[in-house]
Amino acid sequence: MDRAIRQRLEERFGEVLAGPVRQRHDETEIRIEPKDVPEVLRALYDEPAFRFQLLGDLAGVDTGDSMQVVYHLWSTTSPDWLRVIAIGLDRDAPRAPSIVSLWPGAEWLEREAYDMFGIVFEGNRDLRRIFMPPDYKSFPLRKDFFLPDDAARSPGAGVRPMEATHAPRNTPAGAVRRGGT
Amino acid sequence: MTTTDHRRPSADDPRVLLDEQVGMYEPVPPYPPRTEREAEFYTLGDGQLLINIGPHHPATHGVMRVVMKLSGETIVDLDPVLGYLHRGVEKLCENADLHQTIAYLDPLEYVSSLFCEWPAVMAYEKLLDVEVPRRAEYIRVLTGELNRVSSHLLAMGFHALDLGGLTPILYSFIERDEIVEMLASITGQRMLFNYFRIGGVNGDLNHEFMSRLGDWMSRATEQIEANVGLLNENEIFVRRNRGVGVMDPELAIKMCWTGPNLRASGVPFDIRRAHPYSVYPELDFDIPTRLEGDSLARYLLRVDEVKQSLRIIDQCLHQMPDGPVMAKLPRLLRPRPGRAFAAVEGPRGEYAIYAVSDGTDQPFRFRIHDPSFLHLQSFGRLVPGKLIADWMTVNASLDPIMGGIDK
Repeated sequence: MDRAIRQRLEERFGEVLAGPVRQRHDETEIRIEPKDVPEVLRALYDEPAFRFQLLGDLAGVDTGDSMQVVYHLWSTTSPDWLRVIAIGLDRDAPRAPSIVSLWPGAEWLEREAYDMFGIVFEGNRDLRRIFMPPDYKSFPLRKDFFLPDDAARSPGAGVRPMEATHAPRNTPAGAVRRGGT
Repeated sequence: MTTTDHRRPSADDPRVLLDEQVGMYEPVPPYPPRTEREAEFYTLGDGQLLINIGPHHPATHGVMRVVMKLSGETIVDLDPVLGYLHRGVEKLCENADLHQTIAYLDPLEYVSSLFCEWPAVMAYEKLLDVEVPRRAEYIRVLTGELNRVSSHLLAMGFHALDLGGLTPILYSFIERDEIVEMLASITGQRMLFNYFRIGGVNGDLNHEFMSRLGDWMSRATEQIEANVGLLNENEIFVRRNRGVGVMDPELAIKMCWTGPNLRASGVPFDIRRAHPYSVYPELDFDIPTRLEGDSLARYLLRVDEVKQSLRIIDQCLHQMPDGPVMAKLPRLLRPRPGRAFAAVEGPRGEYAIYAVSDGTDQPFRFRIHDPSFLHLQSFGRLVPGKLIADWMTVNASLDPIMGGIDK
């Protein structure tokens, strides 16, 4: 856990942070609004106090209530992985700014997030499906997309209490597993 | 864009007549362009043509399709088409409990399976606050480095094979086979090991493994030296690779490259040193780097890495502590709600897992990051202006594994 980076992040981005800087093990986490993503990532990339120039990962997340885009960054200025979470994307029409201008390599990562979650990255000029066929209509990693062979729907459902977190059989439309803030 | 009017019987059920001709392997997609880039790519200029390579072409290292826009024999642009191996591993993992997810990860990187299991168990250990016994950490490093050697040997052999050299792959397989056999003696599997567990490894080192490893280590350096001699001094190999597919360091970082491909461009980034994990801080090894950034540099860098891996294996054997190989954990694991990210340096680059827990025994979100995916993306910047034959050398030197790319 790197206390210094926490202080620097709080000082520099205090007003745009949507929540406290969280730290656990070797990870530091900040949360921002999607509209602030290009500005914050550009500052993290350029400024000598941060220099987060390696994009470790870009992931979409569906929390059941809203969508998130999660960026993992690496820098020589901190021993921690920096996790930037763009929170609160509308689940019905998730949109986030693209970071292709900073990392051209993020193009396919954003295509993947679009393919799996339907998150539209504004500014990505090649935002088409990457794994699923072009005529596919669903977004498979969304929480309202159930697996057909879901263990909880099998005749053994309810036998093991740990499976209670799944939607039961005859789930009403729109019922979604929620959590994982 | 050609759609025919006549109806044709479906492949699944001949009684069903399909209205539309679905040209699965036609280079031009049978639907209007979806993006600006797609429209641009599928618009042909003067004297240009589109050809389709794959999805079952041996040089694509798996099931991948590449549509190439050519002018004569020169590549103007290309568009990789993925998804032929897509199984939805992330979704499957979100519907499996923590132990089960590890088995789903092996087939992603079928030549270096341990490096897909490793970040997952690391991420879970962070979520669960588990301390891994030191012997287990050493065994992980030892088996991991063995797996890295076997993967690099295969990459080197297939690199020659893609260029038409049939012999090096046979010699590579002699060494690789010895390694997978010794790993099979402790894991029970030759390729998909499923060996790492949350809190340790599944089973201690045994006599067969140690005796095989001892035998192999006594001749490994010499043998690998002899194998690479076949290629390093082969004029055809060197001249087809030198100066082909040059990546400059700034662009490599911006394209999110990691691993040997990034280091061959002169960026000394290795997660084992940059963000140390496991017992790597206690081990003495170098991070080989090359400045050329071409296909030959990527090949030679793998040769150097094999030598460093042998050093690490040697140290692991000397420093291996006694003790348990598994932490004491309940059978049913329910991490507290939280998030964890773990990354390891694999033979192709950064393998990472981002796991989100919602307090149940299943991960709420399970994100798999694979380096080959990002290396493959850079084709469009490496090969335009080169010949089709150069695409093969670039593809072989980037060493992508389609299992991981398509997830």
